Amino acid sequence: MDLSDNEMIICRCEEVTYGELKNTAETYNCSARELKLRTRAGMGYCGGRTCRSMVDSIAHSSTERDVTQVTLKYQPPIRPVSFGSLGEITK
Amino acid sequence: MTSRIINHPVLDKVDDTDIVTFTYNNAEIHGLRNESLAAALLANNIRTLRVHEESGTPRGIYCNIGHCFECRVTVNGLQGVRACLTPVQEGMTVSSGEKFLTPVKDWRSNNE
Amino acid sequence: MNRVIVIGAGPAGLSAAITIAESGYEVLILDEYMLAGGRLLGQLYEEENGKWWNGIKESKNLHDKAIALGIEIRLGTPVSNIEKTDGSWVIYTDEETYYTHHLLLATGAAEVPLPIPGWTLPGVMSVGAAQVMTNVHRVKPGNRGVIIGVNVLSSAIAMELKLADIDVACITLPKKNQVNKESGNPMDVMNSLLHVSHMAPSAFVKFGSKLMKNEFMKKMGITFFPKSGVKMWDIPIMLRKAVINIYGENTVEGVTIATINASGEVIEGTEENISADFVCIAGGLYPLAELAAVAGCPFYYIEELGGYVPLHNERMETVLDGLYVAGNITGVEGAKVAISQGVTAGLAIANNLSGGKQEVEIKEAIKRIEHTRDNAFIQFHPAVKEGKQKLQQYWEEYGQQAKVEVTI
Ligand SMILES: Cc1cc2nc3c(=O)[nH]c(=O)nc-3n(C[C@H](O)[C@H](O)[C@H](O)COP(=O)(O)OP(=O)(O)OC[C@H]3O[C@@H](n4cnc5c(N)ncnc54)[C@H](O)[C@@H]3O)c2cc1C
Ligand code: FES
Repeated sequence: MDLSDNEMIICRCEEVTYGELKNTAETYNCSARELKLRTRAGMGYCGGRTCRSMVDSIAHSSTERDVTQVTLKYQPPIRPVSFGSLGEITK
Repeated sequence: MTSRIINHPVLDKVDDTDIVTFTYNNAEIHGLRNESLAAALLANNIRTLRVHEESGTPRGIYCNIGHCFECRVTVNGLQGVRACLTPVQEGMTVSSGEKFLTPVKDWRSNNE
Repeated sequence: MNRVIVIGAGPAGLSAAITIAESGYEVLILDEYMLAGGRLLGQLYEEENGKWWNGIKESKNLHDKAIALGIEIRLGTPVSNIEKTDGSWVIYTDEETYYTHHLLLATGAAEVPLPIPGWTLPGVMSVGAAQVMTNVHRVKPGNRGVIIGVNVLSSAIAMELKLADIDVACITLPKKNQVNKESGNPMDVMNSLLHVSHMAPSAFVKFGSKLMKNEFMKKMGITFFPKSGVKMWDIPIMLRKAVINIYGENTVEGVTIATINASGEVIEGTEENISADFVCIAGGLYPLAELAAVAGCPFYYIEELGGYVPLHNERMETVLDGLYVAGNITGVEGAKVAISQGVTAGLAIANNLSGGKQEVEIKEAIKRIEHTRDNAFIQFHPAVKEGKQKLQQYWEEYGQQAKVEVTI
């Protein structure tokens, strides 16, 4: 594997790389949840919506997937809470 | 606004006459009323909406439907607004997300 | 409190709300997007009968119908959490907190990315992002794009870009790694394409016809697959190339591709650059079920449905009292299936409110989901029916377990 692959970002919010995740998964032989806690992948602003499947795949190359439980737990709030909104179209 | 698809072989023609003016990083920008901020900026060839708060790498829209939070900008002083799901309005003041002066960990860190 | 709340104004949520309102109950829909219609908005394709499925029009019809029935739709309203307190569902948004006894989650699906070095550069976006920019906002995502990931969604959207006069340089694979796996393996991609050949263009149909039914021929097919690709709507589909890097100073300037062997390994020395001002990443879809998860629904991983789905029965009821699900949150499928699931969920809710007056209609609606699924033009996973059966089985097992617990 060349350098650029190791430096490739997996978690965009926290800028956690492929190399970092793979090494952590191999070193600790860890579950997706442990992988997340150790690297901060999936703990950023988006709540892991973008990278969760990728973090899952890296973890599951070394550990078995539990089909009856979401491997990466969802934590409320699932959207950052802000005050005041600009959303609605006013016609 | 050359990158707009005004005529389309199947979809209706776009009405590009209802123009609003807003500012992005102090520059005056024109958009169409009620289109998303991300669309208005892209129509003006602006792709970079913020830089990563710690590394400073440029970022733009990724999902365009509110999931990834990559398109966060500041609108009328309110931070962390998703440009892909915010309609542009006349007189809006928009600025891009900036690099933090001192790196801080994000809002979730105490949450886990 | 008697008002039903629906989260998600996509085809599933809108159809459910319409059904509930038609039965005489009040409904409020919350959605974080700026328009009603969800992912239906961006859809555009020609169906077998030659008619266009125009997502903007379909969305508008549903929206107008909902408004005519007096349904309130609050857009620009992200829901950040839900929980059950004192027997009712509490829904948290930035500005207000809502309460209801009957809550429907119709939050749809999200896209799975394929990581490529350089994919955080502005100009790299998910293929759905390009679809929405092009068909909904009518702004070109760029002048010349490369699509990474060969699947139903990316080929449909490539055609949509083409319709809008946007140049697509090629559709090709991502370099194989532990994350991209099947998406980076030409054999696997070929296999999955064969299942969707009915919606693929002539060159592909020919290619994936009976000839390709056995393993040996598939292998040969990949081995002899032209390096320059097979053209579809004039766009080269390159199963023997993979993107190894996306480059550009502050925004995308192009991609580096290389030739790969039949199992996806890069052949050294074959690298070449393709210039592009945007790149689309197409890794597929997964059910967006985060609210069901924070509510405490049990989940099962069912690959045929796109990932983890909240446990529910045919009436779209979850195991949690007063919590329902419909649409892509229950498994990734096309908008017509989402609509028929929405109708079913709507009937189930109305039935629970009326004390059982809609039993007959519910049974018919459940059958209609099956029928819609069987006739779907777009199918994201060829074995979606098996996936649904697995879920039904899990539901029954779960029910039995619950009974045992009660008797103990
Ligand atoms: C990017 C993308 C492109 C797609 N393209 C196609 C296609 O071309 N053809 C096809 O057949 N299918 C496509 N699909 C599949 C699509 O999901 C279904 O066709 C259909 O739209 C599903 O309907 P739904 O009502 O279940 O969900 P959606 O249509 O996805 O609607 C869900 C709604 O819920 C809202 N929502 C989600 N979470 C929250 C929250 N926390 N708070 C408030 N609102 C929330 C969203 O804003 C959205 O409007 C696509 C899916 C995606 C994600
Ligand atoms: S582009 Fe993903 S949230 Fe706006």
